[in-house]
Amino acid sequence: MTNDHPIRTAAVLNLFTVLARWLLGVAFLFLGLAKALHPVDFLKLMHQYDLTQNAWLLNLVAASLPWFELFCGLLLLAGVAVRGTALTLTVMLVPFTLLVLQRALLLRAVWHIPFCAVKFDCGCGTGGEFICRKLLENFLLIALSAWLLAGRGRQFCARYRLFGR
Amino acid sequence: MKDHPVQTKVTNCRSTVGRILLEAMLVAVAGAVFAFAANQVSPRGLSLARNYFPTGIPDAMRASASANPPETPIGTNSTALASPPSLAGPMKQKELQLIDGHRAVQLFHDAHLKSGTIVFIDARDEEHYQAGHIPGAYEFDPYHPEKYFSAVWPVCQAADQIVVYCHGGDCDDSQTAALLLRDVGEANRKLFIFGGGITEWTNNHQPVEIGARNSGNLSTAIP
Repeated sequence: MTNDHPIRTAAVLNLFTVLARWLLGVAFLFLGLAKALHPVDFLKLMHQYDLTQNAWLLNLVAASLPWFELFCGLLLLAGVAVRGTALTLTVMLVPFTLLVLQRALLLRAVWHIPFCAVKFDCGCGTGGEFICRKLLENFLLIALSAWLLAGRGRQFCARYRLFGR
Repeated sequence: MKDHPVQTKVTNCRSTVGRILLEAMLVAVAGAVFAFAANQVSPRGLSLARNYFPTGIPDAMRASASANPPETPIGTNSTALASPPSLAGPMKQKELQLIDGHRAVQLFHDAHLKSGTIVFIDARDEEHYQAGHIPGAYEFDPYHPEKYFSAVWPVCQAADQIVVYCHGGDCDDSQTAALLLRDVGEANRKLFIFGGGITEWTNNHQPVEIGARNSGNLSTAIP
């Protein structure tokens, strides 16, 4: 009997991870660009979360977040600092998803409609969306980031890690 | 002496975690620098110092309105400023109906306003609303619908025509509010955007109500 099976599994997993990295990269490139092209709209959407009353700070977040996402998308596509980028994205995505969830719960209570019927523009770059779909998308993005964090799929990377071998 | 394999594994794991953390921090710093620079270079970039949620009508606009009062009586004339033409495109895209100052004044003086079949909705924030709004207008800040929805929703359902306004000019909070109402089931045919907003209203020396709705504290200018 040969050891082909584990090797093939590893190859499939690696391929899957490369595709996941590209998918995540394209997603953040698209989401970042969608917001960067309409920064005032994004700023207004950020305003709904009451993150801060400080106009300068809110401007700073709204001005930099889209480009930051775009930057991370480019790093993932090129395969540079993959695990560091994946960690950064996870750290960004988790609290933002919780904010969106909190907002949706609030709107559901106000509108007296089923949770999945709540539709609003969360400022994610995809326009107005039903909350259940949005949460599913975000969970997928978080799962993909976490998967990349695990350290597989180093093929087609310009510089997988910045430090060490 | 050689390290125990478990100890070596723990040390390696720690070093990997440390490396990833360091990498993430570097990505965050480089990303922040890139983002800041890109915003500066982008022709659509945000100005960090500008307040995009201004408080009230700019002084210059107010001064100009006082210096050039309308020549014909209020509500009966063509002095109403045309609604910003830049709004027409986006409105059409969103399938919203735009009305000008003249039509807004007509609706305000319509007998149906008292019966509640015509309602005015102010889509600005509380501070601006309190500073002066179209008399009888309901407050509905679209960024905090949870605060106002329970009061505004029954009124909108009972109305035949809902006029939504904000500051005017390039302000699109009225559109945001109208879209919000439409999303929760309000008929599109009932929704009208008064594009000139409170700026055009006061420029035409129409009355504004200061403080709460139906406070009776009327003025022709926002103090």
